[in-house]
Amino acid sequence: MIHKTSPEIGGMGHSIKRKEDLRFIQGKGNYVDDVHLPGMVYGQLVRSPYAHARLKSINTEKAKAVPGVLAVITGEDLAKANLAWMPTLSYDKQMVLATGKVLFQSQEVAFVVAEDRYAAADAAELVEVEYEELPVLVDPHKALDADAPLLREDREQKNNHIFHWEVGDRKATEQVFQKAPVKASVNAFFPRCHPAPLETCGCVADFSRATGRLTVYMTSQAPHAHRTVFALVGGIPENNIRVISPDIGGGFGNKVPVYPGYVCAIVASLTLGVPVKWIETRSENLQSTGFARDYHMTAEIAADRDGKMQALRVKTLADHGAFNAAAQPTKFPAGLFSICTGSYEYAQAFCEVDGVYTNKAPGGIAYRCSFRVTEAAYLIERVVDVLALELKMDPAELRRRNFIPAEKFPYKSSLGWTYDSGNYEAAMNLALEKIGYQQLRKEQAEKRKKGELMGIGISSFTEIVGAGPAHTFDILGIKMFDSCEIRIHPTGKAMARMGTKSQGQGHETTYAQIVAQELGIPAADVTIEEGDTDTAPYGLGTYASRSTPTSGAATAIAARKIRDKAKKIAAYLLECNENDLEWEPGKFFVKGAPSKAKTIQDIAFAAYTNIPPGLEAGLEAVDYYDPPNLTFPFGTYVCVVDIDKGTGEVKVRRFVAVDDCGNIINPMIVEGQIHGGLTEGLAIAFMQQIDYDESGNIQGGSFQDYLLPTAVETPHWETDKTCTPSPHHPFGAKGVGESPNVGSPAAFVNAVVDALSHLGVKHIDMPITPWKVWKVLQEKGVAA
Amino acid sequence: MALKIEKTFEVPEPIEKVWAFLSDPRKVATCVPGVQITDQVDEKTYKGAIKVKVGPSVTDYNGEAQIIRLDTENHEIEILGKGQDVRGRGSASMKMTGKLRALESGGTEVKSESEITVVGILAQMGSRVIAEVSNIMFGEFTKNFQARLKEASGDAAAPVGAAEVAPIKATSLAWEATKGLFRGKSESGS
Repeated sequence: MIHKTSPEIGGMGHSIKRKEDLRFIQGKGNYVDDVHLPGMVYGQLVRSPYAHARLKSINTEKAKAVPGVLAVITGEDLAKANLAWMPTLSYDKQMVLATGKVLFQSQEVAFVVAEDRYAAADAAELVEVEYEELPVLVDPHKALDADAPLLREDREQKNNHIFHWEVGDRKATEQVFQKAPVKASVNAFFPRCHPAPLETCGCVADFSRATGRLTVYMTSQAPHAHRTVFALVGGIPENNIRVISPDIGGGFGNKVPVYPGYVCAIVASLTLGVPVKWIETRSENLQSTGFARDYHMTAEIAADRDGKMQALRVKTLADHGAFNAAAQPTKFPAGLFSICTGSYEYAQAFCEVDGVYTNKAPGGIAYRCSFRVTEAAYLIERVVDVLALELKMDPAELRRRNFIPAEKFPYKSSLGWTYDSGNYEAAMNLALEKIGYQQLRKEQAEKRKKGELMGIGISSFTEIVGAGPAHTFDILGIKMFDSCEIRIHPTGKAMARMGTKSQGQGHETTYAQIVAQELGIPAADVTIEEGDTDTAPYGLGTYASRSTPTSGAATAIAARKIRDKAKKIAAYLLECNENDLEWEPGKFFVKGAPSKAKTIQDIAFAAYTNIPPGLEAGLEAVDYYDPPNLTFPFGTYVCVVDIDKGTGEVKVRRFVAVDDCGNIINPMIVEGQIHGGLTEGLAIAFMQQIDYDESGNIQGGSFQDYLLPTAVETPHWETDKTCTPSPHHPFGAKGVGESPNVGSPAAFVNAVVDALSHLGVKHIDMPITPWKVWKVLQEKGVAA
Repeated sequence: MALKIEKTFEVPEPIEKVWAFLSDPRKVATCVPGVQITDQVDEKTYKGAIKVKVGPSVTDYNGEAQIIRLDTENHEIEILGKGQDVRGRGSASMKMTGKLRALESGGTEVKSESEITVVGILAQMGSRVIAEVSNIMFGEFTKNFQARLKEASGDAAAPVGAAEVAPIKATSLAWEATKGLFRGKSESGS
């Protein structure tokens, strides 16, 4: 257990209020669009209406004639500077501005720069682009057909296949399946969805001809990585690039990739020598920036008649759109999808994924998810329920029989991961007890007799987060460590900087609490700064629930380095041997003589005013933390739904979420994260999809069609926790931001299917709209 | 986005009179709201424009209409129209088959089948909206067709481009489309 500090210190376990909220609730946040620089001009992208078309000509004359217009940049212009294409984070390349042809609707075709936004928008409408329409490829299942149109003519490989990836023992798994007495399978499509952060993407690129320095204020979840990308692509010396991520209004993975708009603004600023602002509209954000999921999955489970699982086999077709712009670690083309074995034990497992190109926006990003973990958790939790149906067994009981037992951790999964710690049954028991599971099953049986539709859905998910160990994890070759630098000022106050970047997670509070925990300096006296590459130590940024596992760990280690030095100073001040000193949060004292003590504030002052001989002045430390393993948060969610037989509407009656993320820094922030993630999970399960029609027209390109949940749609969330610390993390934490979004879709869908299973329904694809349910009710002849 | 729309209506005029009208694109064009024929390329090909405004989205299609089949004996006509938005926001095409049948009452049944393909910003509005907009346009067309037919003297064709263009009333169209979303499915048929 973590020693709990006093409320004045406010270390781990205290629900102190979020420091950053003071400015946010006053409207005093500083977002990219709040940046106004002298002489700043505005950029507007011209986008393709076609999903696949040859570019015959672009006439910019009329646009250039609009008063206030300074430049119109096309792909051909960029090509002259060798900037028409840029690398993606998945070793593919992507057009910055189209040359030759366009590959998805809303693709970037030209960039208009003008003195004000209105002139830029007006001029963008006057850019005349002549297209010749080409056959469109929308269905990924047809991408590899012999007669499929070839999308990427730039590649040597003349088909639409991106990658094949597999893990596990195909043959041994096959053998288990051949002999297995019981088999269950499901075809589950996890639809293309979009994080739709409150703030869209944008930047202000400011190149100074006087200093030769480029400053880019941008919506970036990974400012250091972006600086390096700009240096490598643009050829600007990296010391002359400064990336600043100011306040960010939500990221959810959407702000990890580099987008053409950023590059265009930079090129325009380099060309014109003035600051250039580019801010996306809502539709531009939904239609062109990183989508998530779009996995067409099949899972099969082999089991014996008692429900003991024997093998798992997974086959997936991944729709990556026009460019493979997936933001994920290099060695993992399907991210961490091989966590699809979930919380269960099997003798064998095999998983394969094929990625293909289609005429859709490029991606996909890890939307509140550690690289495809959401897809994996959804699939395994779905197919386990199908197996329960097959066996006519209670889904909770089936899970109980197959959980990896608590005593087997650390546990090596059949697909190669070493789960750090877990106690799955304890979390499920708590969730079932809290919701009153047995009573609900009785109620369900009675309701069925009366013809009423009620369902209970369970999801006992396991996550894999905190990428990651340097031996396995890198992005574009850069290892996925992360960092923290702490400086203690003479008056005992502290400043800490990290390589991560909060987008609303509350880092300014939680990191301060880690410092408070380790050094006893009150969290209120610790200022956290992130997002300025000129000042913060290098790091890979915030996504994949990695901040606490990596930078959080670095913060603890850096603080411990400071404490080690503080001990030397304390021994000098107390005129005793270091070994005679004991620590309690906030002070060192002589063993057996608690009144002989020096506070951390005394020690900090001495570090600048009364320095022990032979010791360097100052009190600061930096740590680059390479985690020895990933962390594996888990939990059980239980959802109860009632279905309206007249309208097909699904009403979530209750939802209990039991999470286990190890030791908790700030319980209030954890709970807030869970509420937010569950609400996003609800939206994915019931409301959202970026769909395309057969011509490649986006059917979810605005909030008219892509629905966000409001307080009206959102049920009351009941949360609780168990605590199984990570054995390898410096303070036993695991990361939690994404668990609710990873674990909840299966709970919602399982509940709906459970309500209809007695009618022969095995599966319904998300989003489960009233229309979809209504059709099922009609089909089964039970509609009211 | 592809849509199929079938409409059938009756007019009290004799079949030959209706045919004379239907087989002349310049006359038919005057019945379509927002359409203007600007030029005749050859015997069967015309240049024209149509303006469609749905909510915030204005689309000005410039294109061509061509008679690809004219079967006087069976009173069937097939017209292919294609257009591109002048501001590069997409394209639309429509293949329309018109078929006449003489009724015992002395009137004529007009049956039309249209396949409409819309690509671009307008298509993002989704088939819910586009189908309703098309329905409303066909409704207007039917009304105009009947009215013009009544006026038609059967004289020489009206000069190209001279017909008065009735633009689509944007607000009422959007409103009608919105109302349509709440109507029963039965009304969106013929």
